[in-house]
Amino acid sequence: MRTIPTASPSASPSTNKRRRKIDVVSIASFIALVVTTFLMLLPLFFMVSTSLKSKKELLKFPPTFLPDSWEWSNYKEIFETLNFGQMYMNSLIIGTLTVVGTLLSSALAAYGFARYRGKGSNLWFMLMLSTMMLPYPAIMIPQFILFSKLNWIDTFLPLIVPAFFGSAYNIFLLRQFFSTLPDELFDAGRMDGCSELRMWWRIALPLSGPALATVAIFAFIYSWNDLLTPVLYLSSSDKFTLPVGMSSFTSSRFRIPPWHLLMVASVLAMLPIVTLFAIAQKRFVEGIVLTGIK
Amino acid sequence: MKKRRIKKTYALLLAFSMLVVLALSGCTGGKSAGEVAPEGKGDSGGSSGEQVTITHYTMDSEDRTFIEKLVPDFEAKHPNIKVRIEKAPYEQFDSKLQTLIAGGKSPDVTSHYGYGGFAEYFNKDMLLDMNDIIKEDGFKASDYSIPEDLMDIYTIKDHVYGIPVNMYVTLMLYNKDMFDAANVPYPPSDYEDKSWTFDKMVEEAKKMTHVSDDIAKTQYGVDFTWSERDMRPLYFGVEPYSQDTWTNGGVPSETHFDSPEVMATYNKLFDLILKDKVSPTTEWSKSVAGQNGDAFVTGKVGMTVSGSWSLAGSNDFPFEVGVAAVPAGGNDKIRSVLFVDPLFILKGSKHPKEAFEWIKYLVSEEVQEKSIDLSGGNPPVNTKAAEAYYKHFEGIDPEDVKKVYEGAVKYGFESYNHLITNYSQINDMFINEMQPIDTGHKTVEEVMPTIQKKVMEIIKR
Repeated sequence: MRTIPTASPSASPSTNKRRRKIDVVSIASFIALVVTTFLMLLPLFFMVSTSLKSKKELLKFPPTFLPDSWEWSNYKEIFETLNFGQMYMNSLIIGTLTVVGTLLSSALAAYGFARYRGKGSNLWFMLMLSTMMLPYPAIMIPQFILFSKLNWIDTFLPLIVPAFFGSAYNIFLLRQFFSTLPDELFDAGRMDGCSELRMWWRIALPLSGPALATVAIFAFIYSWNDLLTPVLYLSSSDKFTLPVGMSSFTSSRFRIPPWHLLMVASVLAMLPIVTLFAIAQKRFVEGIVLTGIK
Repeated sequence: MKKRRIKKTYALLLAFSMLVVLALSGCTGGKSAGEVAPEGKGDSGGSSGEQVTITHYTMDSEDRTFIEKLVPDFEAKHPNIKVRIEKAPYEQFDSKLQTLIAGGKSPDVTSHYGYGGFAEYFNKDMLLDMNDIIKEDGFKASDYSIPEDLMDIYTIKDHVYGIPVNMYVTLMLYNKDMFDAANVPYPPSDYEDKSWTFDKMVEEAKKMTHVSDDIAKTQYGVDFTWSERDMRPLYFGVEPYSQDTWTNGGVPSETHFDSPEVMATYNKLFDLILKDKVSPTTEWSKSVAGQNGDAFVTGKVGMTVSGSWSLAGSNDFPFEVGVAAVPAGGNDKIRSVLFVDPLFILKGSKHPKEAFEWIKYLVSEEVQEKSIDLSGGNPPVNTKAAEAYYKHFEGIDPEDVKKVYEGAVKYGFESYNHLITNYSQINDMFINEMQPIDTGHKTVEEVMPTIQKKVMEIIKR
């Protein structure tokens, strides 16, 4: 504030000062960023480094920063000792179908909530939101009985089908987005004789890339990391998902956990999410900003 | 161009939905073949000639899932029985079991591999009384070389509820390299060696302890954080739970955790850390070995009192390992805690007879012997198979393992965690309440009255 009125001929030293001040601030914040980035990356670095250590080296104290001998064979070993490839595929299949299901069902429900006003529509919306309050353990056993009556135990169905029935959080997220879309667009569509479903598909969805990307990533991460549901519904090893297999690593009360293999698994398990995020990053960030602004 | 894009999206949608339908129908197909068929047969029959499927629910770790490899041989010998192995990771073991039972999909055979113990299963009425089956079958524990006193653990009022399958003991592991470096003779493996006392152990531990500001140079002589905390007084000849626990279905009428005798025993153990300083503090152990790690395996501790399951990993330790007797703490009868793993038939089982057939197979000499290798060192309950177990550990003298095992059985006591009701809550409570003693913020005398009160509350639940 004070520097602005000094736009007089003798301003040069003060602007210099200002520039230097900014430089100091930006350099300091740059250093702070580098340091925090480094701190954030340290666990990741240790994960990768541990994944390349031998079993004996794991137990060393103080722990070695870089492996003494680089055991690339760990990456081979995990596919041999565990059903790792199969688990990976299972997780991918379940994750992908969950994303498809969530997108279709949640977007449709959200569109309805956003574009139609009827008697008690707010009440329904509240009711739907209140399902978010139900903790999973509360519905765990009734749901298990339901799926077991349907003979769905030890199949992927209990893990995928619920996604096709929408989820409160995602519906909420998308509804907020859809209500920002101008009514004129839909009026124009209606004039051109577009059916409601078509307007959803051809106007609302194409305009909602960021929001859909956000929902897709959330849905995928949730499914990818979920442990309890697969544990409950899957029983044969060839159907296990990654989290089930990985938590079995530390399962034994009787052994030292093979941390190196667990770290290999973690590195590999991280890849799809990192890839997905890298691809969708622009839209993802946009999505959070846009839905957040509303 | 616009039109083409729309067509493309429709095509995409169609492709997606077809994929979904395909995937879903694929799953259902695979499932009905595996699950419905055997169950349908099972429900209708139950008579001996028909084929039935039994499920064995176990923990998903190598030392438990090895039984999958035993199934083909069993099925070949019993063409009318199919065995399905279901598993869950340790942390989720109990919740999955509860859900399976509540959902009417109760497994036939299992053990208490989660947090719960035998008493808890028994009190929740989950276990099948095996008496009728045993009578019809003519099963005798002696035919399978199972010691009678192990059978007694799972016998309540003359009714048998479980058949032991593995027996772990408490023993002492020591780091030979550290003993050599400090020029201290190895501790004895013979329980009859009366010179091997608690005080002697402290003395030798002092010779190996070097505490320094540099955490990398610090090492301790002994780690006596031995299993569940409520068992530790036993070892010094003091029983914290009243005797009627064993006749009362795991519900003791009194406990004595605030008695001067019990408190003295806890003080003796905490003195190792706080006064003699020959044992690591919990923080130190955590910083060296991580949250659930064991500082001993990093080679920074000379001796550790531990369950015999630690033996299975000993080949991977970065130092030479020996086994020794647990030193005498002043109790002539009890010096080791036994952790016996039984197999149960659950009440919901539709084919208890076939399940019993499978259990018998698992405790037979030949299979018990095979299981040692397959599991990587599970101790058999069948005493005839035990010889093979003693020889299983590379670099450890079989004679030592044998002596330690025989002494432990002679001076052994069945772990409370299998015998007392609501044990997982008791154990959690102990860990939480004793935390301030670990860190030196409270004394044993301050904490024990609270523990005594809480134990009684949990037991009466």
